[in-house]
Amino acid sequence: MDYQKLAKRIVQRATKKGARQAEAFIEVSRQSTVRVREGQIEDLTQSTAKGVGLRVVTKDRLGFAFTSDFEPSGIDLLVDQALKLAEAAAPNKLNGLPGARDLGRFGDTGALYDEAVANLPGDWKVKAALEMEKAGRAEDSRVSTFNAVGAGDFVSEVYVASSEGMAGGYSGTYVFLYAMPVAAEGGQLQKGYWLDYKRFLGDLESPESIGREATRRAVRMLGARRVKTQQVPVLFDPLVTASFVSGVAKAASGNAVHQQASMLAALKGKRLASEHITLVDNGLLPRGLATAPFDGEGVPTRRTPIIDRGVMSSFLYDAFTARKAKARPTGNAKRGYNALPSIGTTNLYLEAGTASPEELIKEVDRGFYVTSLLGHGANPVTGELSAGANGLWIENGELTHAVQEVTVAGNVLKMLQDLDGVGNDLQFRGGTVGAPTVRFRQLTLSGG
Amino acid sequence: MPRVSAPARRASTSQLAPLAARRIAPAPLLPQALLERLLAVAMERGGDFAEVYVERTHSTSVVLEESRIKSAQTGLIQGVGVRVISGGKVGYAFSDDWDEPALLRAASTAAMIAQGTGAERAFPVSRIAVPSHYRVPTPLADVEVSLKASLLTRADGAARAFDSRVTQVNGAYVDQTRRIAVANTEGRYTEDTQDLCRMSIQVVAQGKKNERRTGSYGGGGRVPFTHWATFPPEDVGREAARQAVATLGAVDCAAGPQTVVLAPGWSGILLHEAVGHGLEADFIRKGTSLFAGKLGQKVASELVTVIDDGTVSSGRGSINIDDEGTPGERKVLIENGVLKGYLYDSLNAKLMGQRSTGSGRRESFKHLPIPRMTNTFLAPGNHHPEDILKEVKRGLYCATFGGGQVDISNGNFVFEVSEAYQIEDGKLGRPVKNAILIGVGPEALKNVSRVGCDPQPDPGMGVCGKNGQSMPVGVGLPTVRIDNVTVGGTQV
Repeated sequence: MDYQKLAKRIVQRATKKGARQAEAFIEVSRQSTVRVREGQIEDLTQSTAKGVGLRVVTKDRLGFAFTSDFEPSGIDLLVDQALKLAEAAAPNKLNGLPGARDLGRFGDTGALYDEAVANLPGDWKVKAALEMEKAGRAEDSRVSTFNAVGAGDFVSEVYVASSEGMAGGYSGTYVFLYAMPVAAEGGQLQKGYWLDYKRFLGDLESPESIGREATRRAVRMLGARRVKTQQVPVLFDPLVTASFVSGVAKAASGNAVHQQASMLAALKGKRLASEHITLVDNGLLPRGLATAPFDGEGVPTRRTPIIDRGVMSSFLYDAFTARKAKARPTGNAKRGYNALPSIGTTNLYLEAGTASPEELIKEVDRGFYVTSLLGHGANPVTGELSAGANGLWIENGELTHAVQEVTVAGNVLKMLQDLDGVGNDLQFRGGTVGAPTVRFRQLTLSGG
Repeated sequence: MPRVSAPARRASTSQLAPLAARRIAPAPLLPQALLERLLAVAMERGGDFAEVYVERTHSTSVVLEESRIKSAQTGLIQGVGVRVISGGKVGYAFSDDWDEPALLRAASTAAMIAQGTGAERAFPVSRIAVPSHYRVPTPLADVEVSLKASLLTRADGAARAFDSRVTQVNGAYVDQTRRIAVANTEGRYTEDTQDLCRMSIQVVAQGKKNERRTGSYGGGGRVPFTHWATFPPEDVGREAARQAVATLGAVDCAAGPQTVVLAPGWSGILLHEAVGHGLEADFIRKGTSLFAGKLGQKVASELVTVIDDGTVSSGRGSINIDDEGTPGERKVLIENGVLKGYLYDSLNAKLMGQRSTGSGRRESFKHLPIPRMTNTFLAPGNHHPEDILKEVKRGLYCATFGGGQVDISNGNFVFEVSEAYQIEDGKLGRPVKNAILIGVGPEALKNVSRVGCDPQPDPGMGVCGKNGQSMPVGVGLPTVRIDNVTVGGTQV
């Protein structure tokens, strides 16, 4: 089926039936995943999926409906429902699709699609997963079992058409590996977790290295114990930093800022952190997992510094919120076919510093190196962060024993000011958020 | 692991839906002959078991922002998943294309997990009737969207009228009418229609010097739309506003071990995290849970009896059948502190020589079923809530809660407290901000020293995440005192 044409046809149908503006967003994907256990396949899943979301505007009223039924009757129903919802909706002058001025030219994304991933032989994933499990076991005999070991690939196509002149589509591929071993010693169980997620097969780390690293992360947590309540320097490893910076980016949502419901609302142009801190959202990052020519409503993606050398620089907007805040959309409308666009990040990352993680640790007399957090992260309205933490204790610049059942707490704005070290180990580990190791001058740790 | 958008203190008293006339049974999702054909194809390579799962879900969602309905949407997601089990291996394929050739393709893809050669056998199924724990005479999908939108407008009005310091109100109403059918090679064919709705309101209040506090509240369940007559949206809006305003001027939370008293209701998330996930059979079978091999052992204070019950009338986590077609059940997991049972889906039950407890749930046809909780609660004790508070010299009263998460292996769990007060000499003192509780499941439950006589379900808004699959769940807890809990905070 020609989905680009289908998208156009749906838009035409909606405008013919009375919509002033209409936009169709189609997503088509296929994926295949495998998990193994003790040298055998545990499960194998294959699927194809598709869906279309239709947004219409009539007399400043917005209607939206979606369906996975592409039969002509299903499409008819979709158009009727979207129009019916628009009729019932309250008018709002801000409603409307991105116009020609917002749509503009697409930037250069580079390649998003890897033939090697799209044509990955079925047994490649099985072999890779088995190899990860084997390497994970070989690394340390204290690995007692695996919660899961898996591999998968994903091929997707996206098409957007609108009555305002938007017409575009792109295809992308993804391939991933993950291992979650559990290590046991003295009645204590500790899990590890390591993964890699890439668009291109050639960029993917070897199954062996994923399996080994997952095991190292599990066994180093053995013997974990609580420490006393105290205030000490705290480091976050890249995975933990990634979740911290996505909390900051949530508060940079133009909508939250406009509603004065963000800790960053009044801080545009103000210094938040030292000049070594730059937090960027970049929809055009070469080979990035979230890289795409346009966002969920056809607006070209771009590079937007949220914090630029320590200064609160830009907020993120979709078309609706940009209109509301009298700003320009930044290409940050995120969506699936079954939802209206809302503001989100593309490839978000904290730029790397120059120090190695070892150097950052070495400068700490006594402190805590956090390797995983439990909880929902910072409240983007108040900036408060309180989370459970696992990790390793630092004495005299060296990692000593494992730590669990403690919490770290602070305020994100204060933490940004306190950020006194950025590692050179920026990585996108398993997602669209990248970060290096970072160090905070002081955080409160709650324990025994 | 649950991700929850609207915590709560008080719960609905209107969980019992009127037992009005049953709605007329709709036509089957797929013709029985096609289901049987799919089973035959799924088994053609000699699998041990096959199952066809059919789902059609109509959903509606309405969003309110800045006192205006920002958007209303409806949608349809439908698909068929075919699962084949061969030894310990599982093959799964799904299709959202209902064309017969597409469905047959899915069945033969799933069949590939078995290594045998083609041989066609017949697998007739017959329909099994199950009792209903929720009766929704008019499907939520058939209720006018404008009525759903007006709930939010009413809640917004009440929240803003509550206090002039309320500066922002955001609201959402979501519902779904989910029809499922499950047919398997054991000859069983079951169907269910699961209506579910939820409203949630988030409020921001602004105090002096740019201080912002947030509050959120909501509720719902497997209830007819008339639920909102007895669980008025105004109450939802006011409660969210009350939380935000009550915590203005809150002081930093002291870090370190304290005695805590948990208000009843949504605090049941403690059980969900501290024990519930650790008792799910996949973690037990793989030996990744610290509760593995501990049946019959004492894992909690004898005041602790934990029940998972899928048969609660109109409960958010209730199920007539699970997503493998097994009827929902009431299971005693911990009785007077002793571990009594685990939560089984059919696959793990089979591999462990047990029977399914009706705990096999899946987010949609796009997912494999896994063991999950339904409504998890602590049986009431005999302490009076006022006495429980009065006895505490110094501690923390936890009034409303956010979400929680657990690390199954080491048992570490957290749960977030969104409204808390210092307790001094048995009385509530100043509000405290940014508190979180952390513990290790069994240790925390051994420190339960008082259990109130005031059991309360949450108002119906829990969403639990596991392996990337979200499921509606219910929780419940009476007032409870736990000694020596590590409280996360910033004050040393």
